[in-house]
Amino acid sequence: MKIREYIESKRARFIVTRIVKSIPVFFLASIIIFLIMHLSPGDPAEIMLGAGATEEAIESIQQRLGLDQPLYRQYLNYMSGVFQGDWGVSIRYNQPVLELIRTRMPLTLLLMGSGLIISVIMGITMGVLGALNPNSIFDYSSTVMALFWRSIPSFWLGILFLYVFALEFGWFPIGGWQGPISLVLPMMVIGLRLQAIIARLTRSQMLDVLTKDYIKSAKTKGLKRKAVIIKHGLRNALIPVVTVIALRVPWLFGGAVITETVFAYPGMGSMLVRGVLSRDFPLVQGIVLVICISAIIANLIADVSYTYIDPRIDIDSQRKG
Amino acid sequence: MEKKSIGKYIDEDTDQQEIDAELEDLKEKETSQLALAWMRFKRSKLALIGGLIVLVLVITAIFAPFIAPYDPLETNPQRRLEDPSSEHLLGTDNLGRDIFSRLVYGTRIALMIGVLIVAVSGGIGITLGVLAGVFGGWIDEAIMRLVDTFLAFPTVVMALAIAGALGPGLYNVIIAVGLVVWTRFARVTRGDILSIKTETYIEAAEAIGESKISLITKYYIPNVLPSIVVVATIMMPTALLASAALTFLGIGAQAPDPSWGYMVSSGRDYLTIAPWMATFGGASITVTVLAFNFVGDGLRDALDPVRGGS
Repeated sequence: MKIREYIESKRARFIVTRIVKSIPVFFLASIIIFLIMHLSPGDPAEIMLGAGATEEAIESIQQRLGLDQPLYRQYLNYMSGVFQGDWGVSIRYNQPVLELIRTRMPLTLLLMGSGLIISVIMGITMGVLGALNPNSIFDYSSTVMALFWRSIPSFWLGILFLYVFALEFGWFPIGGWQGPISLVLPMMVIGLRLQAIIARLTRSQMLDVLTKDYIKSAKTKGLKRKAVIIKHGLRNALIPVVTVIALRVPWLFGGAVITETVFAYPGMGSMLVRGVLSRDFPLVQGIVLVICISAIIANLIADVSYTYIDPRIDIDSQRKG
Repeated sequence: MEKKSIGKYIDEDTDQQEIDAELEDLKEKETSQLALAWMRFKRSKLALIGGLIVLVLVITAIFAPFIAPYDPLETNPQRRLEDPSSEHLLGTDNLGRDIFSRLVYGTRIALMIGVLIVAVSGGIGITLGVLAGVFGGWIDEAIMRLVDTFLAFPTVVMALAIAGALGPGLYNVIIAVGLVVWTRFARVTRGDILSIKTETYIEAAEAIGESKISLITKYYIPNVLPSIVVVATIMMPTALLASAALTFLGIGAQAPDPSWGYMVSSGRDYLTIAPWMATFGGASITVTVLAFNFVGDGLRDALDPVRGGS
């Protein structure tokens, strides 16, 4: 009981430290995003009004948006707006940015989530099978396949899928959102690449774990092969896999941006691309900020969940550096 | 008995053979670290294949005008979207340009973008890594927070935002991606320096009064170099994929330039009539990235046999 309490208190302290540490990361991220948006050569007011706008009109817009104030004031204004739910108005859509994000984000999360699930199922299965039959033809070919999935650009994979499964076979809609069936192809594009990474890692971790003494002793105790592999092997092998998956969440957003554009999937990612191309700064700034917040939270969850999967870890020395 | 149960999971025979072979090699040649690394590198077939492909790509890029049968920019409205034939090896695109010639010239663009992105990100990352590792303290703390922040950014999203703000164009993409992907250089450089820092030769150098600058140039950088070479190779695929993705999204290389990413995106509109338009550009990207992945994995295992392979 004592030990349990000790672990609990240590974990609580770890979680608090971890949250505190991600606060500066958030603010640093928001500053960087803000600066990027303002290092652009064009004047947002001019972009909003288009070419041929009068000097006065531009000035009045600048005043209304606070663009005539010093940079740090603009940043503070923006951030105080962010915390109050005012993320600015999209130039292209002429709607509040937060509203646009709220309507588009669920579809993006759905795509990422289903891609993630597919990749976890496929990756762990492939990894375990590879580790149980090392150097077999299956193992070798899945290693080569993993390298292949890692190397193929996702936009091209998406176009190939679109061509083969939507245009030639007609199994899936060509693009847009027509119910859950529209999810299948983009989900596979995201999932296939990620599963390759998970499979490779699971394989090497399993191979490593299976040579450990406790596996041998579990075997000599007469436990069933299946029980040894799953309960003692896989459970321990998956610890680093969980971390890597969580660290891939930012990457998943990138994948979503590209696949959504290929499939004209009406999520946040395709909206971001359109925003960038039409220089809709408030919208781009808002979406990038949301993505960064999500990524920071995902990292936080990963680190915290890690303490539950593996209570041994030296919480104090947890550091990504 | 015990041996057998381990042997089930790790192929001991090949391991032993490899060790024997390496020992033989050791006896025969005088071996520098570099020769040792090369020996380990060439044992990986995939790494050799990758190296060969990279070599072919470099030669193609250099001698593009001699290899390409047509001008990559020359349009020919009479011969739009032609099937692959003996005249046009890989067919023609929507403006009647020879796709094979465009691919050949595209090699130049791809390799140039890749190398420049690696150079930009390496410049930023190595500088910050050296600063963090050598000076430590609050400098280290600040730089590592910056690294944490950039790790939270998805590469493509962030590069897209930067490139969008800078405006479309090849060089803006290079700057954008380079500004985002430097973290790996910084972390590896810092990590290596921290582990070298406690070595006796550093202590000795400090004791005879070497300045920080000369410590960096004489001891730290040369010792970090192998890791940097590995990271640079590993970064090539990231650089190639990210820049191709941005080009595909409409932000990278612009219209007439025969970049592979652009070829895929313009081919998208002609999938039903001329599927090869999008296919060959994408295939070129894949092969190039694959080759660099092979080489990167091989180099990592060769230069860093202990940590490698994980």
